Amino acid sequence: MTEATAFDDLAVAPVPEPTCLEMTGVSKQFGGHQALEDVSISLSPGRVLALCGANGAGKSTLVRILAGAESADAGTIRVHGSEVAISAPQDATRLGLSFIHQELNLVPKFTALQNMAMGADRGGRAGVLDLRALRRKAQQVQDRIGYRVPLDARVEDLAVSDRWMVSLGRSLMRDATIVAMDEPTASFTKEEAERLYGIIDELTADGVGILYISHRLEEVLQVADDVTVLRNGRLVGSFGASELDVASLTHHIVGRDVEGVTHRVTAVDPTQGPELLTVEGLTREPRVRDVSLTLHRGEILGVAGLVGAGRTELARLLIGADPVGSGSMTLDGKPYHPRSPYDAIKAGVALVPEERRSQGLILRNSVSANLGMASLRDPAGKVGTYSPRRAVRIAREAVSRFGIKTSSVHEAVGELSGGNQQKIVVGKYVLAGPQLLILDEPTVGVDVGARSEIYDIIRGLAAGGTSILMISSDFEELAICDRVLVMREGTVTASVPASRATKDHLTALCFGTDSASHEQDPS
Amino acid sequence: MTTTFVDHAAVTATRPASARVWRWFGRYGALLVLAILVVGTSILEPTTFATYDNFINILNQSALSAIIAMGLTFALVTGEFDLSIGNVASLSGVVCLSTMVDKDISIPVALLLAVLIGAVVGLLNGLVVTLMNVNALVATLGIGTVAVGVNYAVAGGTPVGLPDPGSFIQLTLGRFLGIPYPVYMMLGLAAILWFVLNRTVLGQSMQAVGGNPVAAQLSGIRVDRVRVFAFVICGICAALTGILLASRTGSAAVSGGDSYLLAAFAAAFFGSAVLRDGEFHVLGTLVGVITVSVGFNAIALIGLETYWQYLFQGLLLILGVGVGSLARRRAAAA
Repeated sequence: MTEATAFDDLAVAPVPEPTCLEMTGVSKQFGGHQALEDVSISLSPGRVLALCGANGAGKSTLVRILAGAESADAGTIRVHGSEVAISAPQDATRLGLSFIHQELNLVPKFTALQNMAMGADRGGRAGVLDLRALRRKAQQVQDRIGYRVPLDARVEDLAVSDRWMVSLGRSLMRDATIVAMDEPTASFTKEEAERLYGIIDELTADGVGILYISHRLEEVLQVADDVTVLRNGRLVGSFGASELDVASLTHHIVGRDVEGVTHRVTAVDPTQGPELLTVEGLTREPRVRDVSLTLHRGEILGVAGLVGAGRTELARLLIGADPVGSGSMTLDGKPYHPRSPYDAIKAGVALVPEERRSQGLILRNSVSANLGMASLRDPAGKVGTYSPRRAVRIAREAVSRFGIKTSSVHEAVGELSGGNQQKIVVGKYVLAGPQLLILDEPTVGVDVGARSEIYDIIRGLAAGGTSILMISSDFEELAICDRVLVMREGTVTASVPASRATKDHLTALCFGTDSASHEQDPS
Repeated sequence: MTTTFVDHAAVTATRPASARVWRWFGRYGALLVLAILVVGTSILEPTTFATYDNFINILNQSALSAIIAMGLTFALVTGEFDLSIGNVASLSGVVCLSTMVDKDISIPVALLLAVLIGAVVGLLNGLVVTLMNVNALVATLGIGTVAVGVNYAVAGGTPVGLPDPGSFIQLTLGRFLGIPYPVYMMLGLAAILWFVLNRTVLGQSMQAVGGNPVAAQLSGIRVDRVRVFAFVICGICAALTGILLASRTGSAAVSGGDSYLLAAFAAAFFGSAVLRDGEFHVLGTLVGVITVSVGFNAIALIGLETYWQYLFQGLLLILGVGVGSLARRRAAAA
């Protein structure tokens, strides 16, 4: 960040306010994991700073610290030159910091105006909303960014990009001087993205500083003035966007260090075996586009990609949790059109969902109740009876089979550690006896020991003929796969055999910048 | 740690013990209330309260509320509400009596018809909630209001009486081995409903849906179907209560069963604090209803004014649920 000279043009100023946001020496540890170590960033008014890095590089943690959602273990934050403490989201708002997350925090049933007015804190006298003043202000905001969303339309009726604009409008209603945008274009069309770039130009001309987080490197280079790259929680460096190209930026993001990978060794190559699942042109706009893939019996197929690449959405289509837009699937040679997870499990396809606490478990229920949840319809049910004794027996077997550490099968799963909870979610679906088990980020928030036990479960299942589709953002763990697909912007862009599925190669492919990768067609 | 509301030194000194005490209190506090009521009234009124006849009488008084409240428990277990049960009880009583009077239909057929009406209303509730994705409070309020309208259309707004009450009244008045039929019905139904909720796939699915609908759906449970079943069971139980009410009073008024709505909710919520950590269950609801009946009975025997009944019922609900939830929080904090 030595080229601060670009900023002081004709202004006669005695350098009044060189940066609007400065984070220095920020560190943060989660458990034993160092999420951030001595990271510094600096953003000047009227400029766009892009934050780049692979999944888990620490971008989100940094933003969460800035937003007051986490507190840093060490480091200082300066806003407009003065040191500040941000311990709650309100602090960030008061300081003029504003965040537009991927999950827009909008109330769907409110109008665009109501959403923009939320938390604007200038309602009117005695807590009575001054709707006219709010409307005037909202119109000013829209004039400023040169884009209009119908103010009286309900947000749930708006297109995704318009919702995003409402979110931005809300930030500006609060007179934000620093706006952080997390993957703004993830569900935008090309035209919508172009429009966003125009709006960013308007904002920076007004002196707003923008923190821009995106995985799309071409976009980053087009929009940003400065680029700060993080890798494994450390600062790689800060660069002027003009001195970078996609190749050099990728190099900074991926780094040189290649770690040793232990590949799966199988006597028979399952990728040559009989096909279990074929997917042809599967599409559900905007997140899944024309996905085709083939999965063999007993194969472990990995799916790599960046957050927002459409992997979770693809998994949900495979189990019928969302309706398919177009495309077809066959399972074991027969047409497969699940209309609900019930259909999928009946056909032998199960998904271990991404969010174990909200999607996988009933936290207050017992270990045995949770383990039995996906196989309630299993053999014993002649008239649909449920035998607690049988459930407990099955649960006890599962507890020892999967190495779940619990004082008893009657204990509430909410009391267990993350790793044991995850083993229960995996176990629950294994007990349903699937031919195809899809796992979405199976080891997130799981300690090292439990992690390797989960890998053992997965390998054991594959050895027994179950096919595995494993979505992971931890590319090192994809080493257990026979083959890895790379998804980018909703579609499969590469298929990599185990021997070449190294972390840096996959990361490069995820950014779509590896020259040596495109010879392999997705199969 | 600075936000805890309990004195620090005291907590750290007695942490494990106090946690155990609070946990115990959370689970058994409601039963303790019942025990205190029984013992206290037995001492105050030994000759009238603590007798076999009065015991049977209390159970008999509980039967109608218990049946409708146990049905409601199913809706609550799946995480839904049903505000139409009072209206359904009224409607089923009116339909039952007016078909017997006007159409000269035999008792069994009239009973079946009334139960069927309860099932249909429950089905409608369930379909509106699942297919139209309407909040259960709104859906059942709407369907319940429609039921009131149908009720007026059937009865013309005037109470229906039986010219020849005889055998229909025997339904509630009759006794077997000295115990009134409604007591058997209440206990029999409690056993059946307990079995459905705890020993069938459907019941397990209901509990899963109530616990975490997203996890339940991803586990292959047909969440919507399960919800509809819960509403149907709820409707059938409400209809049964309506029939028994008509039998007991020998007539059916358009709003005869309405008062059961709040009583059923009160009992089910009180019951959620019985033996479990705030989960709805059949046995708890039954205990809830009986506790209220014991209280009413005691108030009558001691000779207190009627308004004490309301004070008692209201306070009981607040204490039962409030103390239970407070105790759980303390147990977790300690």
